[in-house]
Amino acid sequence: MIAPAAKSPAHNWAAHLRRSPLLAFMLIYTVISGGPFLWVAVMSLRTTPEIFASPYALPSRVHWEKFVEAWTKSNYGTYFWNSTIVVVTAVALLTIIGAMVAHCLARYRFRGNRLVRFVILSGLILPPQLMILSLFQILLEYRLYNTLTGLIIVYVAGHLAITVYILEGFFAQIPQDLFDAARLDGYSDLEIFWRITLPIGVPALFTTVTLNFIILWNEFLYAVVLLTEDDKRTLPLGIMHFMGSHQLDVGMLATGLMIAIGPVILLYALFSETMIKGMTAGAVR
Amino acid sequence: MTNFGPFWRTARQSPPPSALDARRASRTTLIVLLGPALVIYAAFMIYPVLRTFWNSVHVIKPHNVEAFVGLANFKELLGNDFIFWKAVGNTAIFAIVATIADVLGGLLLALALFSGAPFVRTLRLIWFTPVLMSYVVVGVIWVWIYDYDWGLANVILRSLGLGSLEQSWLGDPRTALWSVMVTHIWKWLGFNMIIFLAALYALPGDVLGAAELDNCGWFAKLVHIIIPMLRPTIVNLTVLSFIGKMMIFDLVWIMTGGGPLWSTETVSTYVYKRAFDWNTFDLGYPSAIAVLWFLIILAFIVALTRLLRQRDRLEF
Amino acid sequence: MATVAITALSKLYDGGGELAVKDLSLTVADGEFMVLLGPSGCGKSSVLRMIAGLEPITSGTVAIDGKVVNEVPAKDRDIAMVFQSYALYPHMDVFNNLAFGLRRRGIAASEIERRVQGAAAKLGLLPFLKRKPHALSGGQRQRVALGRAIVREPKVFLFDEPLSNLDAALRVSTRNELIRQQRELGITAIYVTHDQIEAMTMGHRICIMSKGEVVQIGKPLEVYRNPANTFVARFLGNPPMNLIPVTIQGDARSHQLRFGGTSLAARCWPAERLSRLDGKALLGIRPEDVYEASPRSGDERLVAITGASVVAVEPLGAETLVVLSLPGVSEEVIVRSGRESKLRPGEHATIQLDLGAAHLFDQATTEVIARIDVKREAGWPRTA
Ligand SMILES: Nc1ncnc2c1ncn2[C@@H]1O[C@H](COP(=O)(O)OP(=O)(O)OP(=O)(O)O)[C@@H](O)[C@H]1O
Ligand SMILES: [Mg+2]
Repeated sequence: MIAPAAKSPAHNWAAHLRRSPLLAFMLIYTVISGGPFLWVAVMSLRTTPEIFASPYALPSRVHWEKFVEAWTKSNYGTYFWNSTIVVVTAVALLTIIGAMVAHCLARYRFRGNRLVRFVILSGLILPPQLMILSLFQILLEYRLYNTLTGLIIVYVAGHLAITVYILEGFFAQIPQDLFDAARLDGYSDLEIFWRITLPIGVPALFTTVTLNFIILWNEFLYAVVLLTEDDKRTLPLGIMHFMGSHQLDVGMLATGLMIAIGPVILLYALFSETMIKGMTAGAVR
Repeated sequence: MTNFGPFWRTARQSPPPSALDARRASRTTLIVLLGPALVIYAAFMIYPVLRTFWNSVHVIKPHNVEAFVGLANFKELLGNDFIFWKAVGNTAIFAIVATIADVLGGLLLALALFSGAPFVRTLRLIWFTPVLMSYVVVGVIWVWIYDYDWGLANVILRSLGLGSLEQSWLGDPRTALWSVMVTHIWKWLGFNMIIFLAALYALPGDVLGAAELDNCGWFAKLVHIIIPMLRPTIVNLTVLSFIGKMMIFDLVWIMTGGGPLWSTETVSTYVYKRAFDWNTFDLGYPSAIAVLWFLIILAFIVALTRLLRQRDRLEF
Repeated sequence: MATVAITALSKLYDGGGELAVKDLSLTVADGEFMVLLGPSGCGKSSVLRMIAGLEPITSGTVAIDGKVVNEVPAKDRDIAMVFQSYALYPHMDVFNNLAFGLRRRGIAASEIERRVQGAAAKLGLLPFLKRKPHALSGGQRQRVALGRAIVREPKVFLFDEPLSNLDAALRVSTRNELIRQQRELGITAIYVTHDQIEAMTMGHRICIMSKGEVVQIGKPLEVYRNPANTFVARFLGNPPMNLIPVTIQGDARSHQLRFGGTSLAARCWPAERLSRLDGKALLGIRPEDVYEASPRSGDERLVAITGASVVAVEPLGAETLVVLSLPGVSEEVIVRSGRESKLRPGEHATIQLDLGAAHLFDQATTEVIARIDVKREAGWPRTA
């Protein structure tokens, strides 16, 4: 520990005094990092006129009905479902396809092993900007432009690298003996993948699921290029669009923000440790 | 620790397959397991990348009008395009300043938690929340915070009697880039903090204890023990954030769209604008920008990993 | 139940320059318990994995019941293996760990249930059937691993150091359990270990390996009493056999072994063999065949050596080991003495070597020099 451990009451008191700048700093940063979110949460329950009258007041009356209005009249319901469909499908595909590749790279030696690994993991350093322009052309040609399917496939391709990277690191640590034992027990390679690797890899799969969920739920660049029709928009696009057309309707925009943050905050409340682990998994190995 | 060593080097030597081997899989198995990934990858990663390279030496207009122009796009870009150079300058300032702030700030926050403050778990959770929010959400909130009339920034200045300092933060070319940068730093500080905190907790306790016995004050301990031992983490996080910021798009696009007067234009927003917003309808020129910028980022990655591999093999 | 015949088996790993297994031949009879014993890295696991079908064979053949199985995949060889790490499936409870290997073999659910219950009862695992491996102790995990092999009722059991992760007491009881199960089921077993006590107590026969090659095969006590070379002599037995460099002098008819100031008549070894030795050999004598006092003075086989100095005395409770340095001999000699020894470090002592139990090794090839039976012609008294 950096601060000396407290020993006697007097000492303790002095130590606290010495540390008060530190505690003040921590308090201030807590307000800075958490405050804006609380502010939006409060605004989401107030009407725009109320907000303009006094932007930083607490709600005089709680307007839950704004959420209904946002969901139905302002199209946030559509955006929400689009986001849900895209993200859930993409995450499911990423998890299973990524696990299959990671299993192969971690378990088997085969001709082309290094090539496959190089090709897939090169996705770690390819910036989306490099693909986005031609993806626009290609999806037009494949008739996938402006479809959720197109966006899902692009998401899967774009996030396979990080998924494989994390999963392979974990799968490689499963002892080879387990696979040998299953082989002697009479199981084929695919059965071993299904019955040994996947169940044992659940913690790692959970990590990649949370990581991919958060990143894709928040994804903006691919979506803004590949989707233009209003009823295809995902939540980030929907909010951008709403901000463009109703810039002064701050209250409704705040409600929309809460709808977008909602699922993430809900999951964070339930699985905060896993989500932190997921978000930092690529960086700490 | 962050693994920045070239990932292909971690591959095992692959021997020729032989009849019975616990580590060998049948061809069918490999096709089933690797097939889907390789097909998706070929069609939606490799092909687009190659096509962008191809595009960069062509003029690409709608309705399949394509003409080979050689390196003309690159010449125009490097010679005549003052907006591009403005964008490069902005991106460089952004990448350098925000990276330093992110790493130092993250370290500071982690040390604050590590110093045995109360409520470490709760604070850690709260400080991490901005990382989980999308750029759109963060962008919209901070556009409000920077609002001239009722935004928090000016409200606080006025209430402190510093009304003369009030600004149109995002509307003034002198402050716009810095304002966006503050927002970006705010979003990512928690991420760096978590990584540093993990690294701090992984430090061997007996080394810190030994320093205590040597009667090290906390500042001496920080400078002589903790920071040197965190060096790999510091370097890795610096590389990671730097490269991320070289590609910055979302936040700028949402908060300022590159304006006013190109004062927040970054390379990525400029690529987007040239491709989809300007009426040039040419995909070739923006592709050239993307290719050039990718090569520069790649050069940075290679240079930094070289640097990393030679040093920073800290043994505890 | 089956015989396993290994012929001229070799293994070269990819990238590894040397053969991990060299030209190894071994036949294991039906129901036999064969122990592969050797130091770490000598290729024991490699042999086992080739028998199991987990590792490709570089050359040679493995035959089960007379049928060569080199190209038969592991799952079709009907072999069960117990791994050093146990390799229990961490996500399955004990019941499913035991049943997993039966499910792929077209065995009816009721039969699986019966066999698992039977094996669990035999091994005392009934209370743990619903537990996952992480909630079991080391000994319980070991028994699950054993049970997983037993329920399969395979043709051959393979064990790769299954007891090495257990503590000493548990090792003894599990060892006995394992022997009992194998004898009861009568299933052919091949057991890898580098622990000589396991080898001595468990195997019908042991096969001693060194650097990928077989050094000696035989019943445990035979091998202990008649080591084929200095490697076996030193590897089996704890503390290992004393090896004293000696010089040989003499004519075609009788030879003398000399070391330090001592000279012994080498009547137990054929004279013409000794004359070919270049004047040098190693005299091997186990610590229990050296006496600190003179319990059987007058016995013609005992040779007294005076002036040995005591280097260390290590009382182990049941016995005491005395380390001695003989005058003019560079190697130290260890003596296994009674519960208590009167010797103290620094003292000088007289010891007696039991030449009747000594071995002579060729110093160049390390091979043993066969003894001839000289008891009758020399009229040596019988010993018990
Ligand atoms: N997969 C492999 N690739 C290359 N060489 C290997 C491989 N497995 C084992 N070896 C080498 O083969 C030799 C024999 O190894 P093996 O595992 O059979 O020894 P062992 O007798 O079982 O040792 P231990 O008692 O330590 O388990 C060793 O030198 C080892 O380094
Ligand atoms: Mg082994």
